[in-house]
Amino acid sequence: MSLLNLLRFISLRHMRLQKAQTFMAVSGICLGVAAIVSIGIINNSILFSFEDSINKVTGKAVLQITGAQSGFPEELLEKVQGVTGVEYAVPIIDTHGILVGGKEESLMILGIDVLIDHQIRSYSLSEDNSDIPDPLLFLAKPDSILITNRFAEREKIKLEQKINIQTVQGIKTLKVRGLLNPEGPAKAMDGNIAIMDIYAAQMAFGKEGRIDRIDVSILKGETIESVKKRIEDALPKGYNVDTPEGRTKQVEILLSTFQRNINLISFIAVFVGMYLIYNAVSIAVVHRKKEIGILRAIGTKRGQIIRLFLSETLVIAVIGSSLGIGFGIFLAKSLVSVFGQVVSEIYMRTSVNEISISYDHLIKGFFAGIITSIIAAMFPAISSSRITPISAIRSVPFSEDGFFTKKKLGIASIFFVVCAVCLFLQYKLTENNSYFHSSLGVFVATLFILIGLSLATPAFLKAYLLFFRRFIASKMGSSGKLAGLNLQKNINRNAVAAAAVFYGISVFVSTAGFMYSAKMSVMRFIDNAVKAEILITSGHPLATTGSKNIPMPLDMLKEVEKIPGVLQADPFRKLYVSYNNRRTLLLNIDVARRLSYSSFMVVSGEEKNLSNILSNKDNVLINEGFALKNNIKPGDSIVLPTPNGQVSFGVAAIIVEYTSDIGSILMDIHTYQRYWKERLADTIAVRVKDKKNSEAVRKAIQDKFGNDRKLFVLLASEFKKEIRKIIDQVFVFNYMLNVITLTIASLGIIVTLLASVLERTREIGILRAIGMLKKQVSQVVVLESMLLGLAGGTLGCVAGIVNGWMTLDGFYRSDFGASAQYFIPYASIIWAIIISGLLSAIAGIYPARRAAKTNIVEALAYE
Amino acid sequence: MIELRNVSKIYLHGSSEVSALKDVSISIKKGEFLTIMGPSGSGKSTLLNLVGGLDQPSIGEIFIDDKPIHNISDDELTLIRRRSVGFIFQFFNLLPILTAVENVSLPLMLEGISFTKIKPKAKELLGKVGLEKRSEHRPEQLSGGEMQRVAIARALITNPAVLLADEPTGNLDSKTSEEILSLLKYLNGQGQTIVMVTHDLKASTYGTRIIKLKDGALSEDISIGGNGK
Ligand SMILES: Nc1ncnc2c1ncn2[C@@H]1O[C@H](COP(=O)(O)OP(=O)(O)OP(=O)(O)O)[C@@H](O)[C@H]1O
Ligand SMILES: [Mg+2]
Repeated sequence: MSLLNLLRFISLRHMRLQKAQTFMAVSGICLGVAAIVSIGIINNSILFSFEDSINKVTGKAVLQITGAQSGFPEELLEKVQGVTGVEYAVPIIDTHGILVGGKEESLMILGIDVLIDHQIRSYSLSEDNSDIPDPLLFLAKPDSILITNRFAEREKIKLEQKINIQTVQGIKTLKVRGLLNPEGPAKAMDGNIAIMDIYAAQMAFGKEGRIDRIDVSILKGETIESVKKRIEDALPKGYNVDTPEGRTKQVEILLSTFQRNINLISFIAVFVGMYLIYNAVSIAVVHRKKEIGILRAIGTKRGQIIRLFLSETLVIAVIGSSLGIGFGIFLAKSLVSVFGQVVSEIYMRTSVNEISISYDHLIKGFFAGIITSIIAAMFPAISSSRITPISAIRSVPFSEDGFFTKKKLGIASIFFVVCAVCLFLQYKLTENNSYFHSSLGVFVATLFILIGLSLATPAFLKAYLLFFRRFIASKMGSSGKLAGLNLQKNINRNAVAAAAVFYGISVFVSTAGFMYSAKMSVMRFIDNAVKAEILITSGHPLATTGSKNIPMPLDMLKEVEKIPGVLQADPFRKLYVSYNNRRTLLLNIDVARRLSYSSFMVVSGEEKNLSNILSNKDNVLINEGFALKNNIKPGDSIVLPTPNGQVSFGVAAIIVEYTSDIGSILMDIHTYQRYWKERLADTIAVRVKDKKNSEAVRKAIQDKFGNDRKLFVLLASEFKKEIRKIIDQVFVFNYMLNVITLTIASLGIIVTLLASVLERTREIGILRAIGMLKKQVSQVVVLESMLLGLAGGTLGCVAGIVNGWMTLDGFYRSDFGASAQYFIPYASIIWAIIISGLLSAIAGIYPARRAAKTNIVEALAYE
Repeated sequence: MIELRNVSKIYLHGSSEVSALKDVSISIKKGEFLTIMGPSGSGKSTLLNLVGGLDQPSIGEIFIDDKPIHNISDDELTLIRRRSVGFIFQFFNLLPILTAVENVSLPLMLEGISFTKIKPKAKELLGKVGLEKRSEHRPEQLSGGEMQRVAIARALITNPAVLLADEPTGNLDSKTSEEILSLLKYLNGQGQTIVMVTHDLKASTYGTRIIKLKDGALSEDISIGGNGK
């Protein structure tokens, strides 16, 4: 009851009066909650869209049999059909092509057996020819294709029209025999799906005699488990027999790194939000010191004061969290397609346009907002209760002796930094023990560095101001002197503002350093791996494993080599294989040829004679990520599923390899062909006899193949530019994070300065009374703000460099499987200093105007 | 009813000690209007703060209505402040965000009583101190004398055993001071025990008993008669 009284008469009024402070606190929570909610929803929507596509394409099938991406022999179909309990087992080609012309949309292409597929999936055509009982019979002719109504509308394609599709065998002209109603598979992938006869699809996509998947329905009375077991027994090892849900799980695993990275963003956003709450409540406590003293003097208990501040926070937290949910949904809506595109480009084909809200995430976000706010408010609330009732009586300004004394601060600061160092050392020293070697430890270490150094801001600010007053202020006239003095008077509080900038800048510098180093490492690797002058790909300029790449037949190599000026053409084929039930990238190159002009970046294991060890032998190279995740050393052997069963391969060496974040295995392409029986390449690397002729050779290649297929024939420099683009795309979330933290840092400065201006009302009044100009008053406040910003920015750069380096070591290595060297991002640091000075000067403008507007009479009249 | 036995107060100033009060024993009776005088720094405020439970003595015992207020927990001491004493300060110490009537009601609001229930009594008290027309004004809209009257009304709302005033006229002109002092005298006439610190010799004449402090020790204790029992 008494709490409600206080809340109603005191807190709510303060919230209304101190709009900036309330706004900061509310927006801090709002941003944090919005981050949790939007990222949760986006993650959910991406997974849901995968699940949805899988389910729609699955039809009545309860089990799906998959092998390597290259497909597996058709003969297995009969084996599966023979298993007891299997009702129907239908073969599927699951691949993609690109519509030539129009919007160049990528299409998921399903090759189906027209005679039995309707047992699993249902299709209906929009212009139904009732005399033809089964729409699939349209496909009997090999040049036929069915597309969806939606796709046809988008691309303005009519029934019976001929369309060109980019396939492995080049551009194929196909006739649209029917338009599918949005039903069953036709609803998947936002309509970007086309149906072909399986035989035609095999031919067009270089899969003669092979299929990608077998969809199985089971007889009544049989359980999925037992049929699954029987199928597994009937097949060679290495095949996946999985339920559609199981396949969704696989997708989840594939996306786990991606999801963890964006979850990290919500974590940091919450951390920053907590800081804002801490900041807002601390300022409120300082600002209301007198009020608290009075309340204590007339009989308010310590507990009542603490509860008052906590319930104020609760009110703000409820408002902020509610707004955060709304804002989060809005963010998710506007960003989901961007995220979907990135996932499509880098990982797997998907099309996400709609969000699927999970109430889980809403509730989680709401309570996370409230709980973290209360925790953040705890320290200042407790320190508020230490304000003595005597302080109400003394009208002299008080020395600051809050919860944290200087000594305690120093100890806490050193404690956190030492903890961070220990955590990081632990991480470095347990490199060979994957159980203790967790990037979580590194993440906590970076947090500790942030906390530790931010606790050192008062000490740093003090030294910084001494320096400023001695060497710089004297050259700046009275404003400079006054600003320096003012800041020195309230070191602890001003340190809070500097800390706001500190956080913003340190996150900025650490991500900049991380990104810069990652980019440099990848580019160095690319420079090493790509020695060719020209690269040929089809469908996607980088032939990523995403939705747009279309492999080319190996026979093209010889054709390319016939072009005058070409020295040699090397194949590169990459595809997913499953190792230990995890998708892993298998990279295949002609090792002997590659080694004739370039080497591998070997980390450990064999370095010499790799040509002999690998060429057409059962030996492979693995990258660091794969080695780390699976705890494999050179000399070990790994068992990979091939279309003809399990084969054991020796690991010759561990190399630096950045192609993917899921781990990779490098194999000689001849070995690959021997086991996988596939003759395709994703990239053809062309070396020319004379570099000066590169452009001419490129044109010759384009001319020779341009009519048959759409190719990207890129010079090495263009290829590298495309890679840079992709890297930037991966880091787009980090940029977003920077914007958020810098915004919040400015808010922090505004509010701290505002509080300090309000508190100095009387002092400013006196200065104005004795003849200080309005302009001078605002100058002093803006200058103070800038000084604080620069102090926080400088310290933030230090923390940012340390954290960037630790993050690089902790995450890049285990995620991308690469030891990357740290490069100090000098350019970004200069920017960070400029930004911190500028932003804080801008943030000082509003408080400065408030200060300049101080009414002299009022300021002096009421104490 | 108020009893100080051998009370000393020592402040620590870094490593050096300041004895603000040295072995002071006083007994204040119900209905007395005690004024405490003495040079600046002699320990007047310190003494008043100890009696009001704003601070704790370093040595010695203090009782209000036979209840000890030394060596008790902070919460117990807080309740003494809330229920047994009323404070009037030199700088008024009203909450600027509250109106006059809300400021007066504050001590009872801390007890959890709803404002609507307190309001009539608060208004009545404001009437008593001559501010019935100012009840909805905020402190910044009031003069110094008016603010001090609001503070007096706030101190009275809990019917405290004793009213403590630390230089209540220190910030007011002489005419307003006289009005405030008359008001205190009037309240004392109604049976209210009052302890007041003042520098002003004239102000001390309103009381029934004068105590003089010098360097933290009791130097004189003069009774001028009146209501003391
Ligand atoms: N919180 C404190 N910390 C340290 N010393 C204090 C504190 N409060 C008071 N003192 C010291 O105790 C002595 C008595 O102070 P006190 O405030 O009681 O004097 P006073 O008689 O009220 O003076 P004035 O007439 O100027 O108000 C002084 O020397 C003062 O410096
Ligand atoms: Mg005094």
